[in-house]
Amino acid sequence: MTAPVKHATFAIERSYPVPPEKVFAAFSDPKIKQRWFADNPGWTTSAYSLDFRAGGREHSSRTAPDGKNTYANDTLYQDIVPNQRIIFAYTMEANGKRISASLGTVELEAAGKGTKFIFTEQAAFFEGGDGPVMRKTGWTWLFERLNSELTGAPVPKPIAH
Amino acid sequence: MPPAKAFAAWSNVEIKRRWFTQPEGWDRRDPLTLDFRVGGLETTAGGPPGGFRSRYKACYMEIQPNARIVYTYEMHLDDRKISVSLATVEFAASKTGTTLTVTEHGAFLDGYDDNGSREEGTNFLLDAFGKVLTAA
Repeated sequence: MTAPVKHATFAIERSYPVPPEKVFAAFSDPKIKQRWFADNPGWTTSAYSLDFRAGGREHSSRTAPDGKNTYANDTLYQDIVPNQRIIFAYTMEANGKRISASLGTVELEAAGKGTKFIFTEQAAFFEGGDGPVMRKTGWTWLFERLNSELTGAPVPKPIAH
Repeated sequence: MPPAKAFAAWSNVEIKRRWFTQPEGWDRRDPLTLDFRVGGLETTAGGPPGGFRSRYKACYMEIQPNARIVYTYEMHLDDRKISVSLATVEFAASKTGTTLTVTEHGAFLDGYDDNGSREEGTNFLLDAFGKVLTAA
């Protein structure tokens, strides 16, 4: 049975001490993206691919540190303005069941020697899913992890589940 | 009508072409193409004679037969991409038939001012949808 869809919108705003070009490269370069987005401590990545262009797709399949729960992410890139904007639609699957469909918008703006970064997610959550609070927590962690990638700061501690 | 019949009008390209179309008199050289499965694409285009040309391109993200459809779509106005949206359609059985709920999340780009026209356009389509279903 399906339950009514739960809709939610949230934004995460932060800054990085590197220029927009470098932040953008962490999204567009498959090797860098896989490192901060997929290959995180305790997780096993069984598949990762990225075709970064409008109309291109990204896929990752990962197993959680518990060795049991599997998650898959499928993304379609819809709008890319180099060093400024990335818009994508993505779904998340937990143990083979789709739990959400979202629209994600990344906006980058030069601020002094660094970058002002805004991520906006507009999401439809399905039954058995994580919901907006956990989703925002997950992205917040990933954007801190991205900071490590950009600055060499230590990788943040994993989120306790 | 029951949800299964309403759902068929979204999943079957022949039925969907009857309501998901341009207003009377618009250029209809690009009829709807629909590959109704997760990951499948949908396209159409058109515009008033001698006027602008709008182009629609969608990708299906989630399908639960007779219950739920989620897709993402882009709208182009001439050569300009004006929006990227996530649309959710829910079909719920009610005493008198089906309650249809359409929810749209949109990112409107580069200063394009929608000024309510997307909601107006969606209502135009849903009116056409209702007429097609009650006539059938």
